[in-house]
Amino acid sequence: MVARTETPRRGRAAADRALRLVAHYRPLPGVADEFIDKNGRIRPHWMRFVETMAALGPGEVEHRFELADRHLADSGVVFRVYGAENGDERPWPLSHVPFLIEPNEWRHLEAGLIQRAKLLDTILGDVYDEGKLAADGALPAAIIAGSPEFLRPLVGSKPVGGHHLRIYAVDVGRGPDGRWWVISDRTQAPSGAGYALENRIALSRALPDVYRSFNVERLAGFFQDFRSGLNALNRHEETRVALLTPGPLNETYFEHAYLARYLGFVLVEGEDLTVRDDTVYMRTISGLKRADVLLRRLDADFADPLELNPASRLGVPGLAGAIRQRNVAIANALGSGIIEARAMMGFIPGLAERILGEKLILPNVATWWCGQTLERDHVLAEFDRMVIAPALGATVPGILERGPVLGGDLEPEEKEKLIAAIARRGSDFVGQEVVKLSTTPVWRGTGDSAHLEPRPSILRLYVARSADGWTVMPGGFCRISDRPDARAMTLQQGGASADVWVMSDRPVAETTLLASPDKVALRRVTSTLPSRAAENLFWLGRYVERTEAALRIIRAIAGRLVDEGGDGAAVTARLVAILIASGAASTNDGPMQPAPLALSALTDRKAFNTVPRLAEASRRAASVIRDRLSPDAWRAVADLEILMQAPLESRTGSDMLERANEALRLIAAFSGLAQENMVRHNGWRFLELGRRIDRGLAVARATRYCGLSGQPAELDALLELADSQITYRIRYVMEAARMPVVDLVLLDAGNPRALAFQADRIRQSLADLPAHAPAGILGAADRLATRLSTELGTADVADLDHDTIFGYETALMRISDEIALAYFTHRRATDPTEAGD
Amino acid sequence: MLYDIRQVTQYSYASPVPFARQVLRLLPVERAGQRVIAADLSITPSPTERHDGFDFFGNRITTVAFAFPHEELKLETRARVLVEKATRPDPAATPPWEHIRRIAVSETDLGPRSPVHFLFASRLIAIDNAIGAYVAKSFPAGRPIFEAAFDLTKRIKADFNYDPEATDVKTLPADAFAKRAGVCQDFAHVMIAGLRTLGLPAAYVSGFLRTEPPPGRPRLEGADATHAWVAVWCGRGAGWIGLDPTNGVVADEDHVVLALGRDYVDAAPADGVIVTSGDHTLDVAVDVIPVEG
Repeated sequence: MVARTETPRRGRAAADRALRLVAHYRPLPGVADEFIDKNGRIRPHWMRFVETMAALGPGEVEHRFELADRHLADSGVVFRVYGAENGDERPWPLSHVPFLIEPNEWRHLEAGLIQRAKLLDTILGDVYDEGKLAADGALPAAIIAGSPEFLRPLVGSKPVGGHHLRIYAVDVGRGPDGRWWVISDRTQAPSGAGYALENRIALSRALPDVYRSFNVERLAGFFQDFRSGLNALNRHEETRVALLTPGPLNETYFEHAYLARYLGFVLVEGEDLTVRDDTVYMRTISGLKRADVLLRRLDADFADPLELNPASRLGVPGLAGAIRQRNVAIANALGSGIIEARAMMGFIPGLAERILGEKLILPNVATWWCGQTLERDHVLAEFDRMVIAPALGATVPGILERGPVLGGDLEPEEKEKLIAAIARRGSDFVGQEVVKLSTTPVWRGTGDSAHLEPRPSILRLYVARSADGWTVMPGGFCRISDRPDARAMTLQQGGASADVWVMSDRPVAETTLLASPDKVALRRVTSTLPSRAAENLFWLGRYVERTEAALRIIRAIAGRLVDEGGDGAAVTARLVAILIASGAASTNDGPMQPAPLALSALTDRKAFNTVPRLAEASRRAASVIRDRLSPDAWRAVADLEILMQAPLESRTGSDMLERANEALRLIAAFSGLAQENMVRHNGWRFLELGRRIDRGLAVARATRYCGLSGQPAELDALLELADSQITYRIRYVMEAARMPVVDLVLLDAGNPRALAFQADRIRQSLADLPAHAPAGILGAADRLATRLSTELGTADVADLDHDTIFGYETALMRISDEIALAYFTHRRATDPTEAGD
Repeated sequence: MLYDIRQVTQYSYASPVPFARQVLRLLPVERAGQRVIAADLSITPSPTERHDGFDFFGNRITTVAFAFPHEELKLETRARVLVEKATRPDPAATPPWEHIRRIAVSETDLGPRSPVHFLFASRLIAIDNAIGAYVAKSFPAGRPIFEAAFDLTKRIKADFNYDPEATDVKTLPADAFAKRAGVCQDFAHVMIAGLRTLGLPAAYVSGFLRTEPPPGRPRLEGADATHAWVAVWCGRGAGWIGLDPTNGVVADEDHVVLALGRDYVDAAPADGVIVTSGDHTLDVAVDVIPVEG
């Protein structure tokens, strides 16, 4: 009986909630709305969405939204804001309501996008080859010549594979008449596809039931097609397809790393590549390897300082020459950005009819280029009702410094100045009609006050070139404005993003979105570890280990501060000496007491080599190789930096102890992830080498300071720093004595904290790396490591004195230098001329 | 006039350069009014890679790479060039400048000599309203293009101070204009910036002047180094006319063209990526000697 009364009541409550969600939804005047049709009725698919959400019940909805947000935070999805202090990264705001598209409407959009991709690719082919469109007057030569993206060194070159476009993005919006309009084309190096994927994962995991019930088209197939299209161009297969990024300072770097990981491409920066005899090579730890295919996220002008922008430090000198010789495929082709000039929009409808013999399926925003007399007169006549925009670039210096303006918004003197500029140099300007974009619902409030509100929205959709044609991503990236004016929408000016759900009229097949790594790398090419990535892995290992060593010393000092009394003072002085010798603290500003010295090593963000600075260096090295770390490992390094930046509540020993312990736990998490989750490829070996070298240095140094006097209190401290107390107690049920302690921390190859253990692991990792010396002969680093390992294996603990131990440290540092010399070739201006294996 | 040209460019680096890749524009371009009878560029030390070819504007370029440490680099051009005496139109008979502005932007030719390439901002030359206002004084309504442009050439010669200390190779036109001082590169850049701001096509020309003037004429400024001037498009009939604002003259038989482009960057004699920690010194010597007979 209870069940019978419960069900309707729950149903009624859900219906009430649904009603509250929509009760105050009022579309903005003069624009179309996704949610409510022009007769004021909620569209059926949206009603179903509202009901499904309302049925989840209060509390549950908030919980689901939190899940999505947490996923995005955990995966490290951030958007870098330029100009902010310290190059701040801020979290990506997700609107939890997806943008819904019905199947029929999607088929129309899809056809329109494929038509446009085909058209634009043909236009690019003509512009960089025959130039017939210009010669025939179908496309003004001045628009081509005036575009900063018309790259003259590429004129006459034909791209490998025959297509300028491989990935194309287009911003579309729905106009007041309900039709879809193309707002702008992105042909240079479109961004956002990776964010679309992340939004999808976040939302589909938070709302799995809702997601399933809407038969949402999956995204994975699109990326598979795109990937196989690029892989098909990889003829030599010496390296995988490379994703060329401007580096971690770029605003969309997260996406570059994410896509490289997802697609199984190698993430490279300009210095990872070099051109020899018009052929592109990757600098790997195995020498130069031919790179056939580049997916670039670097603007074309920066791609080659030799023939393009001489000021670029991000590019590859000689790349343009390699392209002309058709020795490298690059997606998109350098110079494809010319399509992005707004003036192009004015001619694309005519070009569609001329080239394809078809009308545009999706119209683009009506555009008049003021380089033509009639068009300019039209723009001047309709000035107040038009958007006046730069015709060829992002701005017109001195006139439209901040991009497009609405003619009617201008003050009289601004207007006069702009009109004079148009009269003088009309070719720099276009007039465009104002498109008011449709609004879509966003979720506001919680619990009983939860409700939907309309916000202007614009979709970014993607088309890729697969091995056999054009393919459209069934979904995309929806940008939602904070403000009712949809024209001022960019990611850098606030706003949120939403997932785009293309609904299918049939149930869709389950496809795993994130293919497992072995599925992605069908071929195993083990030697494509760029030397720059190897170097960063190596230094990540060194910094993390160095942080750990400093934390252990600080913890030992702090513990003795808390534990007042006893013969602590002398030992504390030794520990302080180690801290200073390690570089984490200094007495340059005069002598200091142990407590402030340890505190400064733990918290000072300005001095060199303090824990916060080491944590920062670790994170920086990790950020460059983010595509090679699991999200969890990255998180641990990022959290370590955040923890060390946070102010310490008080300066007592126990607070320091607490902080040091917390930090050591994060490092342990990172170490565990690296040990357990990283494939034993060359990348892992460099991380391992870095860690072993620094751990060896730390334990040898600590032994020099605390292991030689034979004082039991000092030996205890040494055991603590080497994390070997328990082993010692089990093995020797006795007070700490010099020989057994030193044997345990230096010579016992079975103790993972001992120097001998580090030396063995270094030797092993070096042996597993690709050799640089002729077969049968050890390289310099291998030779040093073998000698060190043998010395430690045969040493007599009674003979170990200060100088002998210091000699071990010197050997470790020389090994580090030799590794750098042998493998980090991007640092050297010259490469070995032979591409040795 | 037939010339023998010898240009020696000598780089000395403070510390050895382990790797360098450069584009050189040190061989004269072949164009209307100028025939290159013979030309050779010798490079010491001998580069690891060398490719000779042409850039978009038809300039002869030599791409070189040095994959070994070197402390000096010597580039020696030897060329024999025939410069024909051009038949210039009567300045007063050329079309009004507004007409040139209108037809230049409507040209359908995308080839290297088309005015469309020279109408817009380029790397070193922005559209500059202050320079535009200065230049506009030579361009009252309806004035013939050649007459107006030549007037401007002479005004720059009169108003600007030739002062190598005032600017360097990276100085932007706005700075040189504000100082009313600089060298040939600056004057050419300022003149081009102003013409483009008015919507007129103007190109940057680098080249040489004959070392010793003909009898009875003064020695021109810039004769002992590479020189730079401006070419203005005066319509399909008159084509490109060279104007030298450093000397206030029309570029004629005394001017030998090396390379041309939108600004200095397009025509730079040497550009490239040199891996070096230290400074370098540069020494350029030019001889342009008329061949007797």
